[in-house]
Amino acid sequence: MSRPSASTSSSSRSSRSRYGKEVKELQDALNQNKIESKRDAIRKIIDAMTRGKDVSMLFPDVAKNMETSNLELKKLVYLYIINYAKIMPDLAVMAVNSFRKDARDKTNPFLRALAIRTMGCIRVKLITEYLLDPLKESIKDEDSYVRKTAAICISKLYDVSPELIEEQGLLKLLDNLLNDGNAMVVANAVCALLIVQESKGTTMLKLNPYIIQKILTAMNECNEWGVIYCLDALAMYIPEDGKEAEAILERVSPRLNHNNPGVVLSACKIMMKFLDYLQNPETIRQNALKMTAPLISLLSLGKEPEIQYVALKNINLIIQKRPIIIEKDIKVFFCNFNDPIYIKLQKLEVLAKLANNDNIQQILHELKEYTQEVDVEFVRKAVRTIGRCAIKLEKAAEKCVTALWECLKTKVNYVVMESIIVIRDIFRKYPRKYEMILKDLCENLKSLEDPEAKASMIWIIGEYVDTIENADTLLANFSENFKDEPANVQHQILVAVMKLFLQRPNDGKELIHNLLKTATIECENPDLRDRAYIYWRMLSTDPELAKKIVFTERPTISDSSYTIENELLDKLIENIGNLSSVYTKKPESFVKKLRDVLNSKIADKIDDVYDQDQLMDGRPEDYSDQQGGQSNISDNIYDTSSQIQSQVQQSQIQQVSQKIDLLELDDNQPQQQQPQQQQIPQQQQIPQQQQIPPQQILQPNQIQNVRVPFAEVLTANTPGSQTQIQGLSIEAAFQKNGDKIVLDLRITNKTQDKTFSEFGLKFNKNPFKLQPDSIEIPCQPVFPGQTQVTQSSINTNGPVAEEPPQMPYKIQVALKTNLDVFYFFIPMSLSVLFSSTASITQQKFIELSQAQNIARKQEVLQIQIDPQRMKEKLERNYFFLIGVRKDERGVELLSYAASLVNGMPLLVNVIHAPTAINLQLQVPHPTLMPLLYQAIGFILTLN
Amino acid sequence: MFSQIFILSPRGDTIINRDFRSDLPKSTPETFFRQAKTYSGDANPLFTVDCIQFAHIKRGGLYIVGTSRFNLQPAMSLELLDRLAKEIKDFCGVINEEVLRKNFILIYEILDESFDFGYPQLMATEQIKPLIVNDPIQPQPDSVMNSLRPKIQTFNIFVPNTIGSQAVQRSVLNKNQANEIFVDIYEKLNVLFNSSAYVINQSIEGCIQMTSFLQGNPPLKLALNEDLQIGRQQGQYSAGVTLDDCNFHECVNANELDMNKTLRIQPPDGQFVVMNYRISGDYAAPFRLFPIIEEVSSSKIEVTIKLKACFDAKIIASYANVRIPIPKQTANAYPELVKNAQLETAEYDSNKKMVEWQIKKLCGGQERSLKIKLTLQATQTAHTARKEIGPIAMSFEIPMFNVSRLQIKYLRIEERGNTTNPHRWVRYITQSSSYVCRI
Repeated sequence: MSRPSASTSSSSRSSRSRYGKEVKELQDALNQNKIESKRDAIRKIIDAMTRGKDVSMLFPDVAKNMETSNLELKKLVYLYIINYAKIMPDLAVMAVNSFRKDARDKTNPFLRALAIRTMGCIRVKLITEYLLDPLKESIKDEDSYVRKTAAICISKLYDVSPELIEEQGLLKLLDNLLNDGNAMVVANAVCALLIVQESKGTTMLKLNPYIIQKILTAMNECNEWGVIYCLDALAMYIPEDGKEAEAILERVSPRLNHNNPGVVLSACKIMMKFLDYLQNPETIRQNALKMTAPLISLLSLGKEPEIQYVALKNINLIIQKRPIIIEKDIKVFFCNFNDPIYIKLQKLEVLAKLANNDNIQQILHELKEYTQEVDVEFVRKAVRTIGRCAIKLEKAAEKCVTALWECLKTKVNYVVMESIIVIRDIFRKYPRKYEMILKDLCENLKSLEDPEAKASMIWIIGEYVDTIENADTLLANFSENFKDEPANVQHQILVAVMKLFLQRPNDGKELIHNLLKTATIECENPDLRDRAYIYWRMLSTDPELAKKIVFTERPTISDSSYTIENELLDKLIENIGNLSSVYTKKPESFVKKLRDVLNSKIADKIDDVYDQDQLMDGRPEDYSDQQGGQSNISDNIYDTSSQIQSQVQQSQIQQVSQKIDLLELDDNQPQQQQPQQQQIPQQQQIPQQQQIPPQQILQPNQIQNVRVPFAEVLTANTPGSQTQIQGLSIEAAFQKNGDKIVLDLRITNKTQDKTFSEFGLKFNKNPFKLQPDSIEIPCQPVFPGQTQVTQSSINTNGPVAEEPPQMPYKIQVALKTNLDVFYFFIPMSLSVLFSSTASITQQKFIELSQAQNIARKQEVLQIQIDPQRMKEKLERNYFFLIGVRKDERGVELLSYAASLVNGMPLLVNVIHAPTAINLQLQVPHPTLMPLLYQAIGFILTLN
Repeated sequence: MFSQIFILSPRGDTIINRDFRSDLPKSTPETFFRQAKTYSGDANPLFTVDCIQFAHIKRGGLYIVGTSRFNLQPAMSLELLDRLAKEIKDFCGVINEEVLRKNFILIYEILDESFDFGYPQLMATEQIKPLIVNDPIQPQPDSVMNSLRPKIQTFNIFVPNTIGSQAVQRSVLNKNQANEIFVDIYEKLNVLFNSSAYVINQSIEGCIQMTSFLQGNPPLKLALNEDLQIGRQQGQYSAGVTLDDCNFHECVNANELDMNKTLRIQPPDGQFVVMNYRISGDYAAPFRLFPIIEEVSSSKIEVTIKLKACFDAKIIASYANVRIPIPKQTANAYPELVKNAQLETAEYDSNKKMVEWQIKKLCGGQERSLKIKLTLQATQTAHTARKEIGPIAMSFEIPMFNVSRLQIKYLRIEERGNTTNPHRWVRYITQSSSYVCRI
């Protein structure tokens, strides 16, 4: 790790050197021939990796072991590669060949599946295309284990490169897998299609009676998870008629007896949905009742309370839609002593729904018991449930009121307060019916700490001012602290006093006068003040009318406030078993706006496909209209010899061009262009990238210098150094652009409300003296959710760091924005640093290769490439062929050389073998060795 | 489905971290642990932070966590994590931090076979066994580390309180193991009495659980009571064993259950629940509690509790605990056991306002009693305080006894090859789930 910092304390140096020693030891162990030592080394590496240590510098050493025939070792290597592929895409490329080879292994299906599964996890867009051929073969593999792995792999790759997968017809192959003879393969194909469907947003799994039959058949044979995929797919089907629905239900209902709650709930989802299509009431009843016992069983059976909770939430929805399903079994919902509180509360919810005139006595008896328990929350909810029953069942209201009366008499503070709140609702529903409890209510005025209870009590007094003799004194007492009360209590005092005055003008005269005065003059709450003003004016204009208004008939209340609207209910029924049914919310409201995420993903993908497209084919002709006129200018600016023009660079060109326009043309043109330019990445490129014939992507004919893929260098949750601001995400890559080094940055603003602008860039001291030409980055402000791509030119005139580069070579960068400064590391491939001008003659080569202080190493690169093509590739990247000679055994030896931008020479002797190339690397400093190896591997594999 | 699965130590260190979809930040384990620590007790099994759904279970002090960005299925997710824990237990023998740290490579292998792209694939131990190349590393019992560490916790997923048998705490990968199978019939009782020992509500939740170490996984045939009946008809009385509902593991073929009362089983390796069942009908409760409350004076109350074991004298309950909540205004409480009581303790916990009565062994037919003398603080009278006494909750375990009378008539190995006849161990265990007496 090179972390050039200005001040290195001695302690950190010693820890680094110890670290370096460990790394060295692991490296040595990996290079030994013994399987055991290699295995132990990789175990240690993976252990370090799991604990969050950076062991990426060992990538080349680990990756070399991919070719092993030892399965255990191979699995370990794969595990390592998956972990580092995303952050070191350039290195992951080296693994491609091994995957391709393993995926075609003739003898061991397990090995094939392992390769297919692992390569799907690499998630590097650039190499997806190399994996398509083996994937296509594996879909037709004779072994079902391989096929089922391939099915999921398609959905994985779709996540990375959707366009490529569609163009290559892999989704069709996935469709074909639905006809597979193996149930597990069918289930996985269903699963994969559902994944693609979710990310694509359009129907992928085209359900018709034929496919439904296939799924139903597979469901009988596959394992429980497969059953869940099948059931989820079936739940999306809309049956043509009641007969078909019935037939499907017939097949689905046996799944209710599974002991996996996931299966049971998925089956219930279908049952609930398809019952709507049945006509015969008796069939509906019979089918509905099939769910009763399994649903109740979810509540017991030693299941974790969490599962019981999910079940209760779903039962709550189900009985609202079809109450018949659980009518008789109310005892199941009685709370157990040791139920967790969330279960108890949910059970009360269900009990309130199940209450009817027949069972109310039993339920009330139980609820009364609950009011004596210790848990305050539970007791309050129990009291509230009694009130709900009273409001729901008019015939049973009296029994409920009696129960509440008993609660009042307990004098337990919270029970009394909750009872008062509930009684207020009962009084509203049944006015003037239960006046007999007023006396007991009025005995509990002192203990009302809870504002809601207090407000309720005052409302009750106001409502019954004519019956309660001492209402005036009671209200006067409440009014004393009027100014200190919370708003809802203040409101109720005002209303109650108003009622008092209107009913008993003599008793309330003084009170209302003072209160209105206080409320209008001293109170700051506008609602309260306005209400007081209205009352005042009403009283001064027409007291009789005021009476009419204040005592007007109110709309009745019902228990429906606890029920869910039908539209939402249907939506939730569709989501039985999902989180949505537990939260009682539509999925959209808590799952991150999937569409947004998706859009940004697609934008990403377009960028990348576009990158590739341009990389392979040069600049597309119809890039855009404005581009056409300006290409000359851009050609003049940039060296035409290099035709790699990524979209990134394109936009850069445009910006540069526009600056020139600014000088030459009138002012309004750039203003018009500005918005257009921002739209280009989204609009104009979409149709275009779809037109790329797939062959061109797969078989790059022209060779350019290698493009380094973007690496994520700053994640959105990394805080800045000063204000700790988060939400800036940066992907970066150093590139060779012609003979220049450039830095491409893709800046994404992931905040909700902040705008980043005024970007500035600075490098820490580094061995190659790299520094940006100018500190400012040519970039528009980045608004929330936006992504901008910029390019900065890099020169090699910066300050030098003495430390030699290490593996992996990264440059520390400070990025200044208007809001904060961010520090991060950008990986650097040595291939970017080859000098385009330096020339090493044959004479010099021989001199250098015989020098004493030079590090030498033999490496093998597992790659098949013919010498001519290799020469082209390397020379394109300024790695020149110096000469060809034969050694003493007559083996042809090709000598290549390059020099780095700081003048260091790099020498390589190459021997071509049938399936690999042998490299003799010679570098002036040993730490450059892995970097050079990596760079060559990178150039040869990727280009 | 899951984006990542990770396993954290009780201190929040990452032991296992597998990212399937790379669509969530790398810092989710920290996010999870921070959020989990904000709960006063155990964290909610499901919670959402910044649109990331976290599902987790706790096993052996470790957090096993799955994350997702989507509208996941909570029941299925928790079941999955539970299965994963079972798999790990099957392979490693036990689940604890040391074992997991030693076997992390093996666990990565298990994870990769069990999940692909975060979707469950093969989760049955015997299916993935052939695909696993690593051997489990057992913690060394003699190492110094081991003696410093508290005893290996034993975990039995279904009934945490039951003393785990050493035999089942081992790995299915152990090649030199005995050819045997363990069958446990667990019953958990829910009973609610009123103060006059009249049963208000009762049910049994039971299961037949097997732990198989059979070589070659031969098909089994399990026969249950001949008078077994499934599904209760309204108003119908049956003398036999009537189950309200039952469900089965997918390896069980229950087609012959109605006819012959037999189950055909293709046993997987390791532990699995053959059948869950539920009985809501009347049964004879094994213990009866008779509480008597007397107001001695306005500030003194005497509570007498009689406990009667109503089962066969040959059967011995391994423990019985009774907890009696007493009024918050209690100044002091003196629990008194009868003279020369053996293997019995009664203690008053003044913080919890609770008297705990523990009986170590209790034979069927025996009766025990406890008297508690309460002194109240001056602020409350005995008349109002007595309402705060109770409900009395009881917990117990009775081995070799089951209330439902569901029995295993025989367990046959259908294709007996050349191997020796495997050992079959059958246990019956009855436990309290919620055994409460109201006052």
